[in-house]
Amino acid sequence: MAGKTIVVTSGKGGVGKTTTVANLGTTLAKKKYSVVLIDTDIGLRNLDVVMGLENRIVYNLVDIIEGKCRKEQAMIRDRKLSNLCMIPAAQTREKNSITEEQMKELCSTLAAEFDYVIIDCPAGIEQGFKNAIAGADTAIVVTTPEVSAIRDADRVIGLLEAALVRHINLILNRLNAKMVKRGDMMSTEDIIALLSVPLLGVVPESEDVVVSTNRGVPLVHDRNSKAGAAFRSIAGRLNGESIPLDGDSRGLFGRMKRLIWN
Amino acid sequence: MSSSATPPVLIKADRAGFTVIPARDASFDSVMAFLAERLVQSHDFFHNAQMVLDLRNSPMRSDEISELCAMLYQKSMVRVVEVRLSDDLSFALAGEPRKSRAAAPDDRESYDSAPLIVRNTCRSGVRVVSPSDCIVLGDVNPGAEIIAEGDVIIFGKLRGVAHAGAGGDQSARIWALGFEPNQIRIADLVAVPPRGAKPALSRYEMAEIRNGNIQVVSL
Repeated sequence: MAGKTIVVTSGKGGVGKTTTVANLGTTLAKKKYSVVLIDTDIGLRNLDVVMGLENRIVYNLVDIIEGKCRKEQAMIRDRKLSNLCMIPAAQTREKNSITEEQMKELCSTLAAEFDYVIIDCPAGIEQGFKNAIAGADTAIVVTTPEVSAIRDADRVIGLLEAALVRHINLILNRLNAKMVKRGDMMSTEDIIALLSVPLLGVVPESEDVVVSTNRGVPLVHDRNSKAGAAFRSIAGRLNGESIPLDGDSRGLFGRMKRLIWN
Repeated sequence: MSSSATPPVLIKADRAGFTVIPARDASFDSVMAFLAERLVQSHDFFHNAQMVLDLRNSPMRSDEISELCAMLYQKSMVRVVEVRLSDDLSFALAGEPRKSRAAAPDDRESYDSAPLIVRNTCRSGVRVVSPSDCIVLGDVNPGAEIIAEGDVIIFGKLRGVAHAGAGGDQSARIWALGFEPNQIRIADLVAVPPRGAKPALSRYEMAEIRNGNIQVVSL
């Protein structure tokens, strides 16, 4: 059975695409699925740093496509999970060194071998974006509650619809509940009303993200992080499990605490 | 897979006319070149024909669609009467050919052609230009532009830009089920919503020119 190919995209840069890819991939691998992450941000690669695999890169995505190596040679296995690997982007090349057809072909061969193929899309809507979405059957659009990010997400959703990507989901990243309460930030409801795509989950703003990125260990390994918990439930929903959307305060204690506080 | 074996475009004939179906992986340039050649080879055959452009398998950008339509019309007076985008996204193309057919100067005042109907939400980056009225069945999001020679009617929230009476018709109006626009224009006047004003909860509103100003009134 062919696996799922998922592209994580946003339009705007810096909203958390790479963090999302690293955390969703890690969670799904922890659930014993075989997962491959592909960084398509050629020239500005980041996923290897977030995954902490920077110093192991020998071959990259462009090498596979140009036939300089077998795809197994470019796949770097995760330090903790043996069923998780990633294909890094080339840092010294440009976005147009691969084409949409080549990407499609690579995705379909990988989908035959892995349960999940997760593609990290570059910012922007140029060739790099077209390459990244070419082979995907599902898209996750990441946005933050800022007007500029939402505008770009809207544009990207339009382009994904035009490219006939069947399933388009939304992740709302870096939501600050206190600011929403004060009315200083757009609420989840407002954003959903505007973008009108199904919401996969909300990730709260958290300092843990910066720490985990710098250490090169995905957040979901940290049991105590709220943002990590949000990514875990998003991965569950992506996997078809039914997890209620506001179930991010975990366990009985968390739920009771919320009851008392509200 | 060689491109010479499979043509980049399939042309089917049926009762309604011709249906043009570009192949899934054909490039836009190859589609244009192929169609141009076919028209030259058999220019009398397709002369004055009506065509349906079926893009359900191979999406095109809107500028590509209009370039294709213009080419077909120029080469052989072929009118593209419908563009099929996918099963749920389909809109009638009332644009280019009608305008050229109604070139008689006495028709210029009353754009009596059928309205352009857009049956989906217009997201950022979408630009719809209608030679007559324009009806949008969905929201118009920030960053989208709806431009019509006649009225603009939106069955949804207007959050982007709407321009009614783009040809200079001062009696054109904009109607929407919710007004939170970036900007509205009627003929040569431009209006922006008052800064910092909270938009009223969905109520039906209409914008028109009164005393030389654009005014938005609730119905």
